[in-house]
Amino acid sequence: MIMQNVHQNPAQDEVLKCCNSSRANFATCKTHYAQLAALVPVNQFYHFNDMWRFATQKLAFLVSLTFFLETGKLASFEEVAESLGLKPEREKGFHLDLEDYLTGLLQMASELARFATNSVTSGNYDRPIEISKFVSELNAGFRLLNLKNDSLRKKFDALKYDVKKIEEIVYDVSIRGLRPAAGNADQAGN
Amino acid sequence: MSRGGGRGNRRGGHRFDRGGDQRLREAKDEQYQLIDDSSEIIKTFKQFALQLDAKHDRHERIVKLSRDVTIESKRIIFLIHTINSSNDSKKEQILDQANFRLKQVEANLFQAIAQELVGEDPHQFLRAFSAGLQEYIEAKTFYQFMVSASIPHWNEIQKDLTYAQEATEEGAEASEILTPVLPTEYMLGVGDLTGELMRRCINCVGMGELDACKQLCGFLRQVYRIFAGFDTFGYKEFGRKTYVMRQSLAKTENVCYTIQVRGSEVPKHLLAQAIHMSMDNPEEDEGFY
Repeated sequence: MIMQNVHQNPAQDEVLKCCNSSRANFATCKTHYAQLAALVPVNQFYHFNDMWRFATQKLAFLVSLTFFLETGKLASFEEVAESLGLKPEREKGFHLDLEDYLTGLLQMASELARFATNSVTSGNYDRPIEISKFVSELNAGFRLLNLKNDSLRKKFDALKYDVKKIEEIVYDVSIRGLRPAAGNADQAGN
Repeated sequence: MSRGGGRGNRRGGHRFDRGGDQRLREAKDEQYQLIDDSSEIIKTFKQFALQLDAKHDRHERIVKLSRDVTIESKRIIFLIHTINSSNDSKKEQILDQANFRLKQVEANLFQAIAQELVGEDPHQFLRAFSAGLQEYIEAKTFYQFMVSASIPHWNEIQKDLTYAQEATEEGAEASEILTPVLPTEYMLGVGDLTGELMRRCINCVGMGELDACKQLCGFLRQVYRIFAGFDTFGYKEFGRKTYVMRQSLAKTENVCYTIQVRGSEVPKHLLAQAIHMSMDNPEEDEGFY
């Protein structure tokens, strides 16, 4: 919910404030995951994991979104796991499932598409360009995966519509001459 | 491109058959090289791709093994159905053969599954081998029932599916690997068993084995009683199996009733016909064997 506020006021400092409050909530999640881990017997993670899979995916999405808004980069698998208090590997205990992390990334891409629209509405014209570059790299990365016909695959198929939407926004901005000059764009993109 | 030849090699409609398509994999590898390598994101995703591929491939291997288990188990069940109790020597022979084939399944297929599961959480792949495991339990319990009129506990079945690994030269200790027999899988397998016992009952009538029918009916009743007592929240399978079991039990009870009522008035060989005419429901088809 906190992250929804970034749409309302996408000025950079406001965004960062939201990110900080989110981070505080992630810490609470850590304690909850620790409690969950205490309840689940060793080696039975997958027996019960459907119960919290949806929550984990949402949290992975929120962490990666927060990370992107703070740094403009993709949160790595290890970073997301660490923010939530989960281990990255099954051997080490209660862990973050790779597919949940990837689903979270896809949800983040949808959210960023929306964010791009709202950025333009509030006058921030270089953020959509950053987002566009980021999401197309994400798309390229996802294309390398061999996916089965499961929910991850369906979400991945939706990703291309997000890419398209963001590109349309960039197009709208460029064609009306609202895009910052090429020099600025490079700095913004990096 | 190579895609055309790849598609021709695949078995029709068999969407799981990725592993055998070597040329398609090579084409994909080329594709990996062409994408810009320097990006961090691309590098991490290449890693993800490897991880996901490994998991999917393992899943597929287990599915293939499980399907082989299913086919063989169904054939063993058919074999056991051919037992004509009045001819005891034949019965011994058939049971021995069934036992031999069951042992083969344990030694080859289930051991391979156990190998695949080493170091993995078995629940992650449970859906891959669940069908095969249940079918095997059905066959095994059916065999055991024909031998001793009782069925083994799942711990005993687990022993058959546990394999000792010898200590390797690298110094790893001797250990055991196993294909887990979860109590829920065991119970679902026994649920299927009731269907086979119902068939056996009807065959028995046809062969004039009236006592066996009563025995089977009693056993079936016991199993149903237990299943009827389960709270099936979270496991739809149990609800379905209980429903089918109830129908099987009803048929068996009808058979016993017909024997009781008409047994004295109708000669034995016509009893089977009489029973068939009194039953309306056609049996469900269980799929290919």
